[in-house]
Amino acid sequence: MKVLLAVALAFLLPLQGLANELRLATTTSTEASGLLALILPKFEKLTGIKVKVISVGTGQALKLAERGDVDVVMVHSRPDEDKYMAAGFGTVRRDVMYNDFIIVGPKTDPAKLRGERNASAALMRIAKTESKFISRGDDSGTHKKELALWREVNITPKGKWYLEVGQGMGETLTMAGNLLAYTLSDRGTYLAHRGRVGLHVIVTQVPGLYNPYGIMDVNPAKHPHTKHSYALKLINWIVSPAGRDAILELKVDGAVLFTPGPAPKD
Amino acid sequence: MTAAKISTTALPTALPTAMPNNESMLFIKRLTKSFGERQLFAINNLSLRPGTLYVLTGDNGSGKTTLLRILAGLEPADTLDMTFAGTSTTAVYPPEWRQHIIHVHQHPYLFQSNVEANVAYGLIMRKVPAATRDVLVSEAIHWAGLDARRGVPPKRLSGGERQRLALARAKVLEPKLLLVDEPTANLDRHARPQIVLLLQNMVAAQRTVVVACHDREIIDLPGVVRLDLTDGALTTA
Amino acid sequence: MELWAATQEALRMLFTGDPELWGVVWISLKVSGMALLIATPVAVLSGFVLATVSFPGRRAVVVILQSFLSFPTVVVGLVLYVLLARSGPLGELGLLYTQTAMILGQAIIAFPVLAAFTLASVQGADRIVHETAVSLGASPSRAALTTLFEVRFAVMAGLFNGFGRVISEVGCAMMVGGNIAGSTRNIPTAISLETAKGEFSQGIALGIVLIVMALVINGAFHTLQGEGQLK
Repeated sequence: MKVLLAVALAFLLPLQGLANELRLATTTSTEASGLLALILPKFEKLTGIKVKVISVGTGQALKLAERGDVDVVMVHSRPDEDKYMAAGFGTVRRDVMYNDFIIVGPKTDPAKLRGERNASAALMRIAKTESKFISRGDDSGTHKKELALWREVNITPKGKWYLEVGQGMGETLTMAGNLLAYTLSDRGTYLAHRGRVGLHVIVTQVPGLYNPYGIMDVNPAKHPHTKHSYALKLINWIVSPAGRDAILELKVDGAVLFTPGPAPKD
Repeated sequence: MTAAKISTTALPTALPTAMPNNESMLFIKRLTKSFGERQLFAINNLSLRPGTLYVLTGDNGSGKTTLLRILAGLEPADTLDMTFAGTSTTAVYPPEWRQHIIHVHQHPYLFQSNVEANVAYGLIMRKVPAATRDVLVSEAIHWAGLDARRGVPPKRLSGGERQRLALARAKVLEPKLLLVDEPTANLDRHARPQIVLLLQNMVAAQRTVVVACHDREIIDLPGVVRLDLTDGALTTA
Repeated sequence: MELWAATQEALRMLFTGDPELWGVVWISLKVSGMALLIATPVAVLSGFVLATVSFPGRRAVVVILQSFLSFPTVVVGLVLYVLLARSGPLGELGLLYTQTAMILGQAIIAFPVLAAFTLASVQGADRIVHETAVSLGASPSRAALTTLFEVRFAVMAGLFNGFGRVISEVGCAMMVGGNIAGSTRNIPTAISLETAKGEFSQGIALGIVLIVMALVINGAFHTLQGEGQLK
């Protein structure tokens, strides 16, 4: 009898925790930046809601939300977010923050991109000189940004110099460092890996390189069992002054990584 | 199962020398073997002649199997003084003796191919050219009455057939001395006579055969010399 | 149901010869095939030597070999990566993110499997096999070959086991190969990617190929083994 009780408690105790849980799907680069580890505890302290983060690729994160496997989703791929909302998978969307992309590459800068004032023009130079370029190739927000830039100059990148690696940002930077290649990266991940990979910032803070993040709920009409009220609490907090202040706290080398609010128009 | 026809005609020898009848083929001046502290046997002045069937008897554990293995060079002796085919040794078993001394295990291991390949094995090891090899293999298979079973894998042979195959595999190499360990122990009464016939045939072709066994059918054959291994000593009956 | 729709799409892709899909399959077969080709002779020889030759420290070597059987493949990848990276000792060779690096990694992973199976098979072979061969005139090396041939099915089981281990491993392949489309993307790294993208049809299609491969190979092995069953 005592054994039975002990076993029952062992199962029930963790379930206690589940009652106050909120499941958030996001991208690997968002989690890798360290932002969530910084701001989510503040949210938990305020509301008592524990946020469980599942970080995967952009596509998978959105799929998880579409299927109701999570309660709230935050990604950085506006076209996909719009599709999600249009299909009725979410009822509310907010602009959370933005960071920017940078084109990084070897110190020698074989394509002579330094000083280039336009992101797509820089990519065009890379293609023309057939300098090695690593693409995420995984339908992530960064990858989609890269593809959008190629489209702007009407180039379909192909050839031995263009390597699609289908991996996360950290691994992609590592590969670019090893192969002395260019790649498109978000600033946060680059700063985190900078010391290790030996790449330099070549093109930065020019039109075309902003990376906005959006947060969306999961439509309770489609998935009634999700924690919808908790999701709304998180969404409202993250765009509130308290949330914005929390986001601004994340700094690397004294520089703020994410700027709260919608991104400037390209 | 009807007894297979076994040929008893003599076959051409592949060896250059033929021994005169009464000369000693193998002479053991002294041979001892111990396991740890316990001495298994000590043999002195044993002479084996060609064209003779020797039966090695003795209780289980007396060392019959070990003696055969030592004579075959599969196990070392503690002290050894032996002469065979013109050479003597007091230490290491000369590898060239294996050309003329062949051992057949109590439960012979047959290679997982077929009857033909098993018989051919030793000839292949001796680099006998293919044409000659095929002739010798066919003769040996016929000798053992296994013509109908040429391509059969060992797992599908009966106990008697397996034993005959083991003998054919040895016989094809024309050994001067054949050492056989309990060939009939696990065979039914139909299969035993066939083995006896084959052993007699080997002897008729002037070879020496030493058979370790308890089989009265073999022990009571005419002309058989009985070697009894008891209490560590070998006596000739 | 979404899973069923994805599976149907997967089958369609397989049977219409989708080039990207079959390209990945080809790279998998090529890399794993080559890895086994270079690992097998050395591994089988090592296993055989370990089973038949006694030398000081033999027991330690056997223990180390057997513990490598379940060694995490991602650690093999890590060590190889550190050696081949631009900042590493062998960086000059430019082998990182090539099929060669993948082949090397898989050969290293397969080696202990092949050697351990050979060791066990030869040890399991009755001494009588060797004695019979020697008694019939085989030299020690020929007798060794004969013994090895007689236990070939047990050794082959090791081969198939090793193949299974490398054809589906992802940790090492990802690290030293880099999952580059068209050159170092094999089945498991592709499945990893497609899943991350939420592209379940592709993932399922590749999974089906892997399963069919495993079934065919095991089926072939069992048929062969049936012929060679000892009584």
